Amino acid sequence: MEPLLEIRGLGFRYEGMAAPVFENLDLVAGAGEFILVKGASGTGKSTLLRLICRLNRPQSGAILFRGKPLTDMTPSLLRSHISYVAQIPQMADMSIGENLLLPFSFLANRTKTPPSNEMLERMLAQFYLEGTGLGQSALKLSTGQKQRLAIMRSILLQPDLMLLDEPTSALDPESASMVFSIMERLNAERNMTIITVTHSDYLPKSVRKVLFMLQNRQLNRITDL
Amino acid sequence: MNRIIAISTPQLLLAFVFIIIAQASSFIYHLGLNRDITIGAVRTFAQLFLMGYVLTFIFSSESLWLTIGIFVVMVVSAMFIVKGRVNEKQVPYILPTFLTMLVTYFATALFVSGLVVGTTPWWEPRYFIPTGGMVIGNSMSAIAIALERLFRDMRQQRELVEMKLSLGANYREASDDLFRNAVTAGMIPSINAMMGVGLVFIPGMMSGQILSGTDPLIAIRYQIVVMFMLVGSTAVTSIVVMLIVRKRCFGSGEEVLLTPR
Repeated sequence: MEPLLEIRGLGFRYEGMAAPVFENLDLVAGAGEFILVKGASGTGKSTLLRLICRLNRPQSGAILFRGKPLTDMTPSLLRSHISYVAQIPQMADMSIGENLLLPFSFLANRTKTPPSNEMLERMLAQFYLEGTGLGQSALKLSTGQKQRLAIMRSILLQPDLMLLDEPTSALDPESASMVFSIMERLNAERNMTIITVTHSDYLPKSVRKVLFMLQNRQLNRITDL
Repeated sequence: MNRIIAISTPQLLLAFVFIIIAQASSFIYHLGLNRDITIGAVRTFAQLFLMGYVLTFIFSSESLWLTIGIFVVMVVSAMFIVKGRVNEKQVPYILPTFLTMLVTYFATALFVSGLVVGTTPWWEPRYFIPTGGMVIGNSMSAIAIALERLFRDMRQQRELVEMKLSLGANYREASDDLFRNAVTAGMIPSINAMMGVGLVFIPGMMSGQILSGTDPLIAIRYQIVVMFMLVGSTAVTSIVVMLIVRKRCFGSGEEVLLTPR
């Protein structure tokens, strides 16, 4: 079966930096896989996620989505299938409800059905955000609340592949395990492929693959569980 | 009544009193502006005298190519001033900005000189060059302000733009607010000028006409044309430049190219 995502010989170096962040990185993700990316700071974990959704451009190697090079796809259409949640959650200067519905105003998502207010309120409760109203300003939320809201906003788009950059870094243990359990459920029920960078010791049950990014950039290794 | 009082050389030198006052102020209060004031004063003196002789020559030569040549030189000089103010290295904005300025300013000067004022020929240097000069001078500031704003916001709000991109926005949707804010910032001075003209200040061109003996009722008609011309050309140039330059802030994968400084 054709993998959902295939990375071949990927190399990336930031402009002005002598050494590349990584070189010759390979990774294959099948549909419905749950992959953890681990490693020390500066090993390129976040960069890898940004390269997959084309927020950065690699100097070498190729990334294929459903067998097609990313460079052959319209960026906005690609990103309506691959959703990326950054480590520092970003909210537009709008209400919580408007922030959640923001992606549905974009052309690439016009075929997707926006959720009803009832559904949004149900989801807010699932994400331990029941105390907040849809009309409340999203900018006034705490970082942890924004992090949950950002994940929720991505889930609403029902992407094929979700890229999460330390999604629980600002969460208390209880909220963190709630986020992981929701991700596990999405992975199991909707066959959503998930790649997440994490420093957490929590190991979701459905994880079968861990990519360890090492300082010695030639030695990145994949462990199958 | 309509007698023009020519300023003699001793009278002109008397105006240097103002420069001496500015120099003294800078010296007393340690503003560190003495060098800039001196250079500014010398440049004003030299550039305007040069301009005076050049204009006298062009007006008497009545040459189309010379008129267009001086117009192009003015736009090139404006581009250098914009480049100096904006100081951006990551995005190639100079050529599209220059071409947009050249085309828009030419079209505006042509419209005002040839159609509104109705000079014959349309490039009559006495009208075409001062009209072009006013358009270039005002719109140049608007473009510099708008470009500065666009690049600054793109850097400061990079993460917000990327958030929208990563949720399926195309580069236009992701930077819509930034584009609008940049164009607005550039246009506000021209709009404010329309609000204050005749109440708060008498514009330079109108004052010049009145001082040279023109009937104020004729001078205001020219001034109205000029004010409208400035707002229109500023709007068109700012919007076209921002549309082109905004696209250049993104790479082929619609990724933000500007990195923090």
